[in-house]
Amino acid sequence: MTDPLIRYVVVPLAQTVVILLVLLGIVAYLTLAERKVLAWMQVRIGPNRVGPRGLLQPIADVFKLFAKEDLVPAKAERFVFLLAPILIFVPSFLVWAVIPFGETFTVAGVPVTSFIADINIAILFVLGVSSIAIYGIILGGWASNNKFSLMGGLRSAAQLVSYEVPLGFAVVSVLLMSGTLSLVGIVEAQRDAGIWFFIPGILGFGIYFICGVAETNRNPFDLPEAESELVGGFHTEYSGMKFAFFFLAEYMNMLVVSSLAVILFFGGWLPPFPNLLAGLWQSPLLSWIPPFIWYLIKVMIFIFVYIWFRGTFPRYRFDQLMAVGWKWLLPLSLANVLLVGIGVLVLKG
Amino acid sequence: MTDQRLPSLFDVEEMELSFGPQHPATHGVLRVQLKLDGEKIVDAKPIIGYLHRGTEKLFETMPFPQCIPHTDRMDYVAAATNNQGFCVAMEKLLGITIPPRAAYIRMMLAELQRLASHLVWLATHAIDIGAITPFFYTFRERDAILDLFEEYCGARLTLNTMKIGGVPFELPAGWTERCSALVDGFPAHIDEYEELLTNNRIWKKRTIGIGVVSPEDAIDWGLTGPPLRGSGVRWDIRKVFPYDRYDEIDFEIPIGKNGDTYDRYLVRMVEMRQSVRILRQCLDRLPAGPVIAKIPKVLRARDGMVYGSVEAPKGELGYFIVTTDKATEPYRCRVRPPSFVNLQLLPDMVRGHLVADLVAVIGTLDIVLGEIDR
Amino acid sequence: MRLTDFLSRLIPVDLFKGLAVTGGYLLKRKETVQYPEKRLEPTDRFRGMFGYDSERCIDCALCAKACPIEIIYLADKVEINPETKKKKKVITRYDIDVKRCMFCGLCEEACPTEPPSIWLTSKTYEGAVYERNDGLYFDKQRLFTWQGVQPFPGVRSPAEGQDPKDPMGRRPTSEPATNDASGEPTS
Repeated sequence: MTDPLIRYVVVPLAQTVVILLVLLGIVAYLTLAERKVLAWMQVRIGPNRVGPRGLLQPIADVFKLFAKEDLVPAKAERFVFLLAPILIFVPSFLVWAVIPFGETFTVAGVPVTSFIADINIAILFVLGVSSIAIYGIILGGWASNNKFSLMGGLRSAAQLVSYEVPLGFAVVSVLLMSGTLSLVGIVEAQRDAGIWFFIPGILGFGIYFICGVAETNRNPFDLPEAESELVGGFHTEYSGMKFAFFFLAEYMNMLVVSSLAVILFFGGWLPPFPNLLAGLWQSPLLSWIPPFIWYLIKVMIFIFVYIWFRGTFPRYRFDQLMAVGWKWLLPLSLANVLLVGIGVLVLKG
Repeated sequence: MTDQRLPSLFDVEEMELSFGPQHPATHGVLRVQLKLDGEKIVDAKPIIGYLHRGTEKLFETMPFPQCIPHTDRMDYVAAATNNQGFCVAMEKLLGITIPPRAAYIRMMLAELQRLASHLVWLATHAIDIGAITPFFYTFRERDAILDLFEEYCGARLTLNTMKIGGVPFELPAGWTERCSALVDGFPAHIDEYEELLTNNRIWKKRTIGIGVVSPEDAIDWGLTGPPLRGSGVRWDIRKVFPYDRYDEIDFEIPIGKNGDTYDRYLVRMVEMRQSVRILRQCLDRLPAGPVIAKIPKVLRARDGMVYGSVEAPKGELGYFIVTTDKATEPYRCRVRPPSFVNLQLLPDMVRGHLVADLVAVIGTLDIVLGEIDR
Repeated sequence: MRLTDFLSRLIPVDLFKGLAVTGGYLLKRKETVQYPEKRLEPTDRFRGMFGYDSERCIDCALCAKACPIEIIYLADKVEINPETKKKKKVITRYDIDVKRCMFCGLCEEACPTEPPSIWLTSKTYEGAVYERNDGLYFDKQRLFTWQGVQPFPGVRSPAEGQDPKDPMGRRPTSEPATNDASGEPTS
């Protein structure tokens, strides 16, 4: 009934703008959250001078990065040098077009969905689009005209490509349980089943999360960008806003991996035991909690786990990293697919 | 006709890389000239001298008591044992016996310094391998130890805390209680670091089998300290040539089995526990008496030369002092820094390993450039 | 490999234990001291900023001889009192080049007066300046008035009557000082 202009143009546009802005804000404050949480684990407090309790620190960081000199190395390939950060940054934003945050709600009589688009191959879209970032890494390393950047870039790309395989298989185990590739469909399948998928798919979740940590180049898989590894890997020669793009893309990827973990394994926006405890969740005490809050809490818990990993573990050497990916995670993920497949066959007839 | 071969895909070219003096992971201004084949290290050559300050020449220009603040600055992470080495050598030369209370206070200071130095080693070694939090936990303990030093002699890092003939000050009121409290609480902290690292599979993968030194090589090259003991050789100056009443104290020296980085890590952790044990015994048995022997105000030496060494946290720290008759200054004072001798083994230890292991090996040798370059 | 080995390799218990250690620290007290709002007080024997008392100084130059880096510069002249015709040595110059000082305390040990005329136990460590060469060269006047030095709260400069026996610079009390170098045990 509503005006097709509103339904098909205004609402998606508004959704896109809101999601983009909110994400940018969250990513900026994620940098502060990482510094503070890491500091708390290290018996100190993080930044607390800029603004009350350090809350204006990300804004100061943004100003600093804007004001930094934008260096392009002498013999670097200028166009590709400029293109690489864009190639890394844009896919991580593009992915959010299909990620659902909650249920549909109405604003002034217009139904607004909590996602921008619900395509029926959402998982494939996410995995495909996020692979474009690998081009950015290789091109960034190559365009710097610096053999160590090149080496770092190639290594990083090799790491990302090899960990995508077990990641894909872990996702396949979820698809077996849900029967659909659409992200909204997966969450609804968890609601229909009554449990979050990580209970039957705990092995798949473990593999998924480890691969996710490796995909985002985070500790313990962050050798390509560690200092002891010839300074900075593929982003050594970048400064100013271009460096900021790499940095933001890394945090955005962290958010994407966490969101997918929540949607695939932890029930998206569903409260725990949505059917069993439906009475509790719909009671007047708790029914005011919008589904979006559940989603947010779970994603924040995963981000916290990311930071926790960074604070605790040493890092793998590159060949050991590849060995873990190919010799352990890949066979395990295949075994996981087999087990889940047998389980689904038995339980669903 | 010249035969110009175009480079083919299978040509191996060695890359020369300078793991430069300014690098976050080299613990000071050490430069390592690497020859790399892809990622594998073919050869490594450490280049030192960026921190040379002419300390040995300075020693020749100043009277013996004034040399002691300068010894602090060689191994700036463990200053008390530097002082102790110089004092032990001079006392050996002049035939001075220090009073028992002075010996016990010196042992306590040296063992506290050993704890502090091993804490710094653990912090930097762990950070190089990627574990960033032990750094903060160890420096919290180190701060407590440095507070004890500050109470005793007035400074935290460059201590100037020993004199030829004993120690300059009496222990302040309450120092033994505070030291006792620190010593009692320390094993729990060591347990915490071990919980984070010792059984951690990533840590083990990064350190087992890296930088292996056979015992014969260790003795041939003159290694001392934890690198030597990690390879299985039972040699500790405190046991073999005891000084300062170490023969009255009961402690063990940990020996490693395989001579790799993990063994050296374990040796140093056990050494910390043994230092706690020594401190406990010293605190319990502290005798009364004067803290410095009777030495003249202007110390004049006799004609002769002496080599005196102590077990510094990094290895055997030796002083070779040559003096002429009635001189107030040494004629020549040569320092045998343990890190200098240990560093010689770096090329042999890293050949065949990857670049990421180079950092682990530099960390496990526990070098301080101030000592190497003097 | 055996099942237990496989399970222990699969489920990283050692990694979880490490996580428990760092996770526990989230709830513990943090060690940060918010400088400059709070300053840590050094101990009594802390070798800090110099105090110099030219009244007590007998111009023996033992401190200058004891200094390992020779940064103490002394000069004096003979003054004849016109009334009593007595000769008196007056110190015209007592300079310390603090930028090269290593605060070793050998000058304080060498000083023969009791209490010493040059002392370091003043609990003050904030003497940083923006300009090195002039800012860190202390002449007789500046050693007395501590111009440019930020004393630790409660410590007074020699001009305000800092007593070398009490590092905090309070008025001398009846209790003996803890800075006892005579060799008698005080603990």
